[in-house]
Amino acid sequence: MSFKNIIENFSAYRKDAEMGGHHTYEHRWTMAIDLNLCIGCNACSTACYAENNLPVVGKERFAKNQAIHWMRIERYWDPADEMYPEQGASFLPMMCQQCGAATCEPVCPVSATYHTPDGLNAQVYNRCIGSRYCNNNCPFRVRYFNFYSYYESSWPEPLHMQLNPDLSVRDKGVMEKCTFCVQRIRSAKDSAKMEDRKVQDGDFQTACQQACPTTAIVFGDALDPESKVSKLWKAHQIKRGPVTQKKPKDNPELRGYRIFDELNVDSSVMYLERVRETEV
Amino acid sequence: MTPPIQDKIIDENLKWARINDDVLRSMENPRRAYWITFAVCLAMFAVAIAAEIYQYRTGMGVAGLSNPHMWDMYIATFVFWIGMSHAGTLLSAILHIIHAQWRKPIYRFAEAMTTFSLMTAGFFPMIHLGRVWNFYWVLPYVSDRGIWPNFRSPLVWDAFAISTYLSASALFLVIGLIPDLAIARDHTTGWRRKLYGVLALGWRGDDRQWRNFRKTYMLMACFLIPLAISVHSIVSSDFAMSLMPGWHVTTFPPYFVAGALYSGCAAIMTLFIALRYFFRFEEYMTLNIMEKTCKLTFAIAMVWSYLNLIEFAATWYGHNVYDKELLIDKAVGPYAGLFWLMIFCGVVAPFGLCFEKLRRNMPAMLVMSVVLQIGMYVERWMIVTPTLSMAHNPHQWQTLWGPVVEWAIVFGSFGWFGLLFLVFVKLFPSVSMYEVKELAFHLKAEIEEEAHAAKHAQGEAHAHGPHGSLGGGGVPVSAPAAPRSGKEGS
Amino acid sequence: MAKHQVLAMFSDFDHAIAAIENIKSGKMPGATIEDITVLSPIEHPDIDNILGKRPVNVQKFTFTGALFGMAFAFFFISSAQASFLVQPQGGKPVIPFPTAFVLMYEQLIFWGVWTTVITFLVLAGMMKKRGNLYSEKLTVDQIGLGLEIDDSKLEGVKEFFRQQQALEIREEKVR
Repeated sequence: MSFKNIIENFSAYRKDAEMGGHHTYEHRWTMAIDLNLCIGCNACSTACYAENNLPVVGKERFAKNQAIHWMRIERYWDPADEMYPEQGASFLPMMCQQCGAATCEPVCPVSATYHTPDGLNAQVYNRCIGSRYCNNNCPFRVRYFNFYSYYESSWPEPLHMQLNPDLSVRDKGVMEKCTFCVQRIRSAKDSAKMEDRKVQDGDFQTACQQACPTTAIVFGDALDPESKVSKLWKAHQIKRGPVTQKKPKDNPELRGYRIFDELNVDSSVMYLERVRETEV
Repeated sequence: MTPPIQDKIIDENLKWARINDDVLRSMENPRRAYWITFAVCLAMFAVAIAAEIYQYRTGMGVAGLSNPHMWDMYIATFVFWIGMSHAGTLLSAILHIIHAQWRKPIYRFAEAMTTFSLMTAGFFPMIHLGRVWNFYWVLPYVSDRGIWPNFRSPLVWDAFAISTYLSASALFLVIGLIPDLAIARDHTTGWRRKLYGVLALGWRGDDRQWRNFRKTYMLMACFLIPLAISVHSIVSSDFAMSLMPGWHVTTFPPYFVAGALYSGCAAIMTLFIALRYFFRFEEYMTLNIMEKTCKLTFAIAMVWSYLNLIEFAATWYGHNVYDKELLIDKAVGPYAGLFWLMIFCGVVAPFGLCFEKLRRNMPAMLVMSVVLQIGMYVERWMIVTPTLSMAHNPHQWQTLWGPVVEWAIVFGSFGWFGLLFLVFVKLFPSVSMYEVKELAFHLKAEIEEEAHAAKHAQGEAHAHGPHGSLGGGGVPVSAPAAPRSGKEGS
Repeated sequence: MAKHQVLAMFSDFDHAIAAIENIKSGKMPGATIEDITVLSPIEHPDIDNILGKRPVNVQKFTFTGALFGMAFAFFFISSAQASFLVQPQGGKPVIPFPTAFVLMYEQLIFWGVWTTVITFLVLAGMMKKRGNLYSEKLTVDQIGLGLEIDDSKLEGVKEFFRQQQALEIREEKVR
């Protein structure tokens, strides 16, 4: 234990997110999803299954809501438009928002989830004891629990050959969630380091971004002012941090928003509202 | 004012030797009814073990849990058992500090109930874990990885609070038992004599021991009261420290404590009636005491009802759309039947405790206490599951009804509690003999002092001789002038 | 000088207190009120007034134990959170005070209770090998007065107790 550590760093350790936290970020991985472009095709969800070794749980367990889909497309219907009812469909790609002031982090009894210097919310599978408090505290409900040992039935031979060797297959009793394809982030950072440069925008893509046919998903580093995602956030006047947004409310061009922003969780994902012909 | 004859707390002329005999007789070798009850509890416990083995090997999915419903009956039952433990502390510690004499015959089994319900509750945080075998990671120990539990998490506070409460309650029970174990040591034979000889820790009853005992008991009672309140507040913070609608409520700590006292008092009523019947403790667990317990339960029921209803009022004022919709859904949605059952059992049923004829009717009170406990169990479940059913994200709204595995384990926990309690009543005195003697002594002193004062008022000079009866004296001959009605010094 | 232990049994508190009052006024040869131990099946709250001042020190240890618990909790938790693998969480500071207060409170009670119990066992003289005189009727309804006296004064003390209407007088030679 570091008694000396407390004394030296006391003032730094007492800062919370509103006061800037206690360390500086190297990167701040951020996403922007344009709901106007999203057609609900589920390619992102499928790509996530392939990339991250997600198990297919079967019809019965899916019906009980025990499925694991780190990226899920939420469908909503607005009954507003009667002339063109098909325009009432809305699709929301929902995955872990990698909140800067994550509500799931302080409630884990064993510190299996914490905030990385990359701005990601990390889940440590081998520390998790499965108390499931983190998902109970997630307003987005984007954390998934391994209710069974899915690996026993999900990949009968030779399907096990499709598993991604860059990350683990989880056993029963642990929580998991979207990691912004952290294995790809690590590879990109390693390559950049070997080439003695910084990670550039476009060096790698998350699986969902890569699969999206309409390029609805934009991903990058918010600390890089030249990245596409920084520019998009700036254009729609959404700021990072657990703050209330100050953008003008009456400008229809500014379509950006964060989900459940009033809860002050500092989500890392900005959604761009769909352009509709009628009022919602 | 002298109470009417049929309404005394206990008969002050009880011979102390008889108190010893009556209570020690309850600890004799058990008869058939006891063994049948024991077998039933054992069977219930076995069902729970079987269900848990199945769940351990297959995964938490068999408990019917899903993405929004990550907690269900296990956590509700956990809160229920912790809650039940509070009434024992109320009776032992709080009523001791305010010198309420009527607690003396009944606090022993209540305190035992506290300890055993904590031992039952302690299983549930382990059972509900996905990886049960790693449960000890929530305890702070020096690990080779240098990792500590997350002290910011309310679940870690639970671990600390419950272990503190369990050890403090057990110590309180054990320390309070010492003079009784000395009695048992002196009046039993064989293996019992040896056992109690060890457990009585050499108690002789000399004034040095009594002085220190009195002080220690009072100090522990003073510690136990804030501990009990803080333990259930910490359990409530499992919910209150999250941001879910219906959970993130500031009245949760007092609400949970009130609910705990409520369900605990109802459990005391049940055990009171059972012990009184099976061990023929009518002289000690009198109707007068039953009445007082019922009145206490009623008062707590009203406190709980108020806190419940004020939560609705706060939601109504708050304009928080998540909280409001959740509350309306609880009342009219798929869980409406259970919601109104909770309101009936918790708010309406206790009014039956207002009628003296009902209070003195043991079968009616047995039914009443079970009804109250059902209401409180449903209340615990109504806190946990409906919030998870209808939280912030509408895509994840779902209704859940507990499956067989959860019911089996919850059912079996009652069996485990029953086993512990049954073993206790046969090994240890379930009525506190020395405190009943003290009660008789003080009641007698009180009555004689009032008779003395009445006679003085009539102007008669009266020389009091010493009363040489076995079992507590009257007003001593040359004592200091301090009045001694019901006084317990510290 | 050989010593004997004497235990006189009385039928109730009245007789015992009458005897004590007589001892206080010096009527017992060879012993004073300080040598007397009162054994009883229940506690008598006014015994302290009658016997004179005999202090109880449990609460001092309790207080120390409780304060220790509070300090221990804060420093333990803070240094655990500030250990080499500092994990920032939820936008909260690394050493938060509100959560520390909860655990400080719990540990105050934990250490307070345990120190009280251990102090009680020590100060009350529990768990000693039983060399003192004892009677099983003490756990039924009789009150005992015990003391240790020199052999020369033994007969005088026994006579005194007989005058005080003691039901039984036991004696044992102290080894």
